[in-house]
Amino acid sequence: MEMHFESIDGKSRSYQLLLIVLAAFAIAGLVATWWVIKEGIWVTGMTNRIPWGLQIVMAVYYIGLSAGSLVISGLYGVFGKTEYKPFARIAVYLAMLFLVAGLLSILTDQGRMDRVFVEPFVYFNLQSMFSINPILYIGHILICVVYLWALFYEKKRLTTVIATLAFGWAFCVHSGTGAIFGFGARMLYESPLLPASFVAAAMASGTALMIVIIVALFKITNRHVDDELVLWLGRFLSVCLLVVVYFLFAENAYRVYVVELRKAAMYYLFGGFHSILFWGGLVIGGCFIPMFILFRKRTGSSVRWVVFAAVLVDLGVLCERYVIVLPGLTHPPEMFPGMRVIGSPIAEGYVNYAVSVPEILQALGVLAVIGLMFAAGLKIFKLLPNEARISGQHA
Amino acid sequence: MASEETSSGGGRRPARLTVLLIVLLLVPFAYSVVGRFVPKGTASDEVFLERPPAKYKRCVKGTDYMRYHHWELLRETREQVVRYGIRGEIALDRCRECHQKRERFCDQCHSAVSLTPDCFHCHYYP
Amino acid sequence: MERRDLLKTAGGTFLAATSGVYAFRMLTASSAGWTSPDRQLASRRWGMVIDLTKCRPECTACLDACRTENNVAFHGDERYDIHWIRKAKLRSGEGSVAPEKTMLLLCNHCDKPPCAQVCPVQATYRRQDGIVIVDHHRCIGCRYCMIACPYNARFFNFKDNEEWPNKARPKRSHGVAEACHLCAHRLDQGSMPACVEACDRGGSGALLVGDLSDPGSEISRVVEQTPVKRIRPDLGTDPKVYYVGL
Repeated sequence: MEMHFESIDGKSRSYQLLLIVLAAFAIAGLVATWWVIKEGIWVTGMTNRIPWGLQIVMAVYYIGLSAGSLVISGLYGVFGKTEYKPFARIAVYLAMLFLVAGLLSILTDQGRMDRVFVEPFVYFNLQSMFSINPILYIGHILICVVYLWALFYEKKRLTTVIATLAFGWAFCVHSGTGAIFGFGARMLYESPLLPASFVAAAMASGTALMIVIIVALFKITNRHVDDELVLWLGRFLSVCLLVVVYFLFAENAYRVYVVELRKAAMYYLFGGFHSILFWGGLVIGGCFIPMFILFRKRTGSSVRWVVFAAVLVDLGVLCERYVIVLPGLTHPPEMFPGMRVIGSPIAEGYVNYAVSVPEILQALGVLAVIGLMFAAGLKIFKLLPNEARISGQHA
Repeated sequence: MASEETSSGGGRRPARLTVLLIVLLLVPFAYSVVGRFVPKGTASDEVFLERPPAKYKRCVKGTDYMRYHHWELLRETREQVVRYGIRGEIALDRCRECHQKRERFCDQCHSAVSLTPDCFHCHYYP
Repeated sequence: MERRDLLKTAGGTFLAATSGVYAFRMLTASSAGWTSPDRQLASRRWGMVIDLTKCRPECTACLDACRTENNVAFHGDERYDIHWIRKAKLRSGEGSVAPEKTMLLLCNHCDKPPCAQVCPVQATYRRQDGIVIVDHHRCIGCRYCMIACPYNARFFNFKDNEEWPNKARPKRSHGVAEACHLCAHRLDQGSMPACVEACDRGGSGALLVGDLSDPGSEISRVVEQTPVKRIRPDLGTDPKVYYVGL
């Protein structure tokens, strides 16, 4: 049977229930955002010592997921692997949606949201990564729009050109996001490896997300997908994980080795709640267990195990985003080396961050908004293939 | 699922809907243009601005200029003061020396056009 | 077909209108605040010297004066209170017998400010006369400047400030970042910052603000002839707050 793209009916009970649930979460997120705007940001867990919290963690996470999804469509558009054509449209659409989610998370985190739509574009500062990045993100969204257009209208040459552009631009987006932290002043942020490490984590989390979404979506909508397609993605994921582990090792080994950063590195690795997330969530749960699953013949060739590994990777990369953002802030800047500052009216030493309910609601709300856009897109646009086979007749 | 081609209205309907959309968007502008030419004595001209006590001979700019451009003046002054440190004659404190009560001066026009400028959250104007 | 055409025209109109508005704003925007046209402003370089030997540990004159002059928010909560200038004690390493030093910490008005470098809208910027100042009309509250500052000198208005001790000066609503601006409003009109005046009134005279680019000014004399230190000059930020007796 020839592969063609179609939209879903959208009349089933479960689809409508999904829309209602997502709408409820989106409204909850909106209410939480309104509450934060009205009361001030003090209702979240952020303080003068911890200016960034869960919203920035989620923003960085969503942006990572987006560029990774683009890799899957790049397999078809850039490298010509026609067996991945069935997933190209969903992948590009998701990439666009996750960038929107990243921008929404950043937007709802600003102190003056009313100014964010004009000021950063009219008065931008080329020396600031926070100014360059929105240009990269919006450019990426526009590229995804053109890419989708090329895919919908089956324009072969435009697809190759725009896919290559999207691939390169995604690298810039990721490195830019990493540079927000890596080019920064905190001891646990500053690192030239951070842009590259962000790209690696994005590829891993994006691939894992696509594995989960493809298997779940095709199963729910009763469409066939060849096992080998998913298993190949699983092998690709295992290679991405190797790169992630390499960067994690290189960064932390450097910080532990170099004397001046050793104390901060020890705090990062063993000094707080984030250390549990680092070792348990990221290293063991997000890297080693999935790698073990994916590299072992028996489990690496089972779609269920691969999906499980992918879920673990996604949770692990979320933990990684948390440990990138928060320990750099909870660790104090070293103003007086060799001395301790006491008796100050502000907290000058180590502080703790506690996530708050408004932040969680905002994060879930953003996810629900793009969930709604994805569910609506499945019905309005022809995103889903009727089936995904390796040996199918692909144009 | 193939959708059937609709009748001939398929080509003209979006054009008409777009025209309708543009017309709807232009209604507020039309309202203010019409409002400017409405003769005296109607509701839009009954805003009462307090006549200030004569502390200075006259204001920095004329009434007509102030009515239509005072925000530009304030913005330019703000840029000069905040970004370049050039403090001249014009300052909100000096406006306050004559026009003393916000509710009898500034708020009269602002309420009439349903505008809440952000300024008074931070700058003192009683 | 018609729905799609409508969406296309609506989308196109929206994009055209938005780009038009942005283009208009960009063309009429004021020039960004990196350079100042005023020669007078450019010829100065404000700095500060804090003489810790004269600073009395229990005195709070400068702290109170700054808070009242500039309507700095105080809520009684260590997490959200703003301190443009603060007092802290420094204790030398573990098991040292050296006495504690009392420190005054505030924005160092660096000549290469990392906060100004990372502000996405140039709301935080370094004026030509060396003062690092925040344009609260432009700040979007992203808090990147607070992260970039290595001196913990920048704060954010998490809540609205209920009190307004000095109605001649504006206060800040929640949602913008702020830090000491060396009472630029006073310096522009020829007087000294509130903390300096309060310290002089209180008899200690530990604070000195002056023009570092003027070789004849008192501050240039002190910086050249007395042993002065700055906090973490190795970071390359070129801070302009000097300490005597650190």
